[in-house]
Amino acid sequence: MAHLDWTSDLETGIQVIDKQHQRIVDYINKLYHAQQFHSREEVGTVLDELVDYTLSHFAFEESLMEEAGYPFINAHKKVHQLFVRRVADYQQRFKMGEDIADELLNTLRAWLINHIRNDDQDYSEDVRHNMENVSAKKTGGWLKRFFG
Amino acid sequence: MPLIEWTPELEIGINVIDGQHRRIVDYINDLDEAQKADDRDEIGRVIEDLVDYTYSHFEFEEALMEEAGYDALSIHQSTHLAFRERVDELKNRFVAGENVAGDLNELLQTWLIRHIMNDDQSYAGLVRQKMPRIEKQEGGNWISGAIRKFFS
Repeated sequence: MAHLDWTSDLETGIQVIDKQHQRIVDYINKLYHAQQFHSREEVGTVLDELVDYTLSHFAFEESLMEEAGYPFINAHKKVHQLFVRRVADYQQRFKMGEDIADELLNTLRAWLINHIRNDDQDYSEDVRHNMENVSAKKTGGWLKRFFG
Repeated sequence: MPLIEWTPELEIGINVIDGQHRRIVDYINDLDEAQKADDRDEIGRVIEDLVDYTYSHFEFEEALMEEAGYDALSIHQSTHLAFRERVDELKNRFVAGENVAGDLNELLQTWLIRHIMNDDQSYAGLVRQKMPRIEKQEGGNWISGAIRKFFS
């Protein structure tokens, strides 16, 4: 498995979330290229960026779920937390000098695709409806840009 | 021809959980294919993915049961734990070079599928009842409130 391609079946129909997911896919591909060029330094940099970005994305996504009253938000959060712990373990092993890139890439690709296709799809309808309600009330320009 | 066909009897009526179970069944079928092809690298990869995914699924499921106040949660959790111990043992034996195909297939096909059909069915009703999809309400939520406050 090499480059991870963004395909339409990964779309949740929530533009801002889809863009964030695409950006995570870009980071995974950047990580793959860094590994291909055997650049340990670059792998470390991309890994840190990927972790930072993913944490912000999870926080954003959890706010949307909460705001939409998605009933399974706590279970979804637990899955995020488990993933964060796993990636932190990889980061730790990397810092100790281990070559974890292959294993990490496999985990990231499989996890992200599975998670987007099922767990994220499950909240998407609730979040979309909620956003449509908010948009319909014309309460703010920035929401229109995100969700319009 | 897949080893396990997804059938309605496997559904517990909670979409997100059914989707996760379906993915686990797909992995079991992928593992079967890799075993038939005698592709050790692929077998190793599928085992890793299957184990990761199943652990994540258990986490999700246990959170749901806890929130719904399911009284057999601790029994269900120990069942998950027993599965994890068994699958970790098989994974280690595989990494050590042993052929674990038979034991692994038995664990996945008999134990896991039976678990979905019996143990998971038994919490599903309570979760559906206690955690229904909440009807959307007009306004009154924190994002729209914040937007009104900061952007209007």
